[in-house]
Amino acid sequence: MRCGAGIDARMVDELAINIDPIQAGGRLTADAMKAVIAYGDGYSVCDNCRTPNRLDYISKPPIAQFHKDLAAWLNMDAARVVPGARRGFQAVAHTYVNKGDPVLLSSLAHYTEFLAIEAAGGVAREIPANAQNIVTADAAAEKIEEVKRGSGRLPVLLFIDHVDYQYGNVHDARGIVKVAHQYDIPVLCNGAYTVGIMPVDGKDLGADFIVGSGHKSMAAPAPSGILAATAERAQEVFRMTAITGDMTGRKFGIKEPEMMGCTLMGVTLMGMMASFPHVKERVKHVDRELERARIVHQALLSIQGTKILSEFPRKHTLTRVDTTGSFDRVAQSHKKRGFFLSGALGEKGVAGIIPGATRVWKFNTYGMTKAQAQYLAQVFVTIAQDNGLAIA
Amino acid sequence: MLFQAIYTLTDLRVLLRETAPLHEFDAEQRAQVQRLLDNLERQIGSLKQEMLK
Repeated sequence: MRCGAGIDARMVDELAINIDPIQAGGRLTADAMKAVIAYGDGYSVCDNCRTPNRLDYISKPPIAQFHKDLAAWLNMDAARVVPGARRGFQAVAHTYVNKGDPVLLSSLAHYTEFLAIEAAGGVAREIPANAQNIVTADAAAEKIEEVKRGSGRLPVLLFIDHVDYQYGNVHDARGIVKVAHQYDIPVLCNGAYTVGIMPVDGKDLGADFIVGSGHKSMAAPAPSGILAATAERAQEVFRMTAITGDMTGRKFGIKEPEMMGCTLMGVTLMGMMASFPHVKERVKHVDRELERARIVHQALLSIQGTKILSEFPRKHTLTRVDTTGSFDRVAQSHKKRGFFLSGALGEKGVAGIIPGATRVWKFNTYGMTKAQAQYLAQVFVTIAQDNGLAIA
Repeated sequence: MLFQAIYTLTDLRVLLRETAPLHEFDAEQRAQVQRLLDNLERQIGSLKQEMLK
């Protein structure tokens, strides 16, 4: 079955339980799939764009209202949609960071935070995570002081991942914001793994900016994301254009330079909007998601030699596991070597693990039904038993 | 009617996702599949009438 020349129809999630760590929260809702079908054409949301011409002013479809709802939902004052969380990082870094400025981020930060700092000419300074792979307010305070002592300057911006991509651990964002604000350092809270997965309250966290990922955690097509700001910071990062053409005298109305004008002009935004009511509802049920994750964790931990490297008990469904003492032992003598695990999982209808990985790997149970979680748990145990591993 | 038919198929698609990989339907899901397929047949019938008249 093909969509076009050389493009097979993708049926991963129809045929298998997909535990890919980055794909789980971005799986579309039925309403998003329907929106994608209707709004696939390029500038499809622009049918009723009227003066002032800007995406967040369009009222049909209700994009203007969506922006207001998004900000209110995150308890922030203003929000914009952006082509992925990374473009939110970039807009904020470009606003506050000048050449040579120190910028703080954690030792577990996503690479795109580094790139945003680099593109703005800043210098990345990492706040170390502790032995439990948690970034604390104390560590942030120490790093601020260290930067101040070393360079005689304070960092101009601080990024903190609400939940990091490596361990899926929840970090002390609120405490870190409090410390940073004592030094007047603005804070961007990276909610790529939390906005759309669990409740996020910007005012409670105290963050100047909240960034979310549509395709990672809001059941939206890629690339999509959100950048929300406090009223004070919104004036800075969402400032309007002031440029004039020297020959034509042209001006560009209320367009925002950091957004490069309009951002998501079609299918990405409509997918995000169609999923939004479902996303608002699902964040209230994070306990149900964790309960299903626990079914799988218990099964994995019953396999002798298996360790969970993420904080435990889990507060997020993205989990890093170490099977060096179990599945990797099998891989040493298996004819398929390290590929036996992904192969065996694939034969049983489980997708999403990096082929060949048998030591340290990640998975995500988000969005699974209870029956699927039970099935997945049984699959791991069966593969272990079939390969002679002891089950506790 | 065209979109209704496509959206009915989309609902079936989501059901396949929710029951992967075995696609063993419980009584409620089976009833839902039946209802969706009945709707789809009606929608296809209407499309035939309208597009081939």
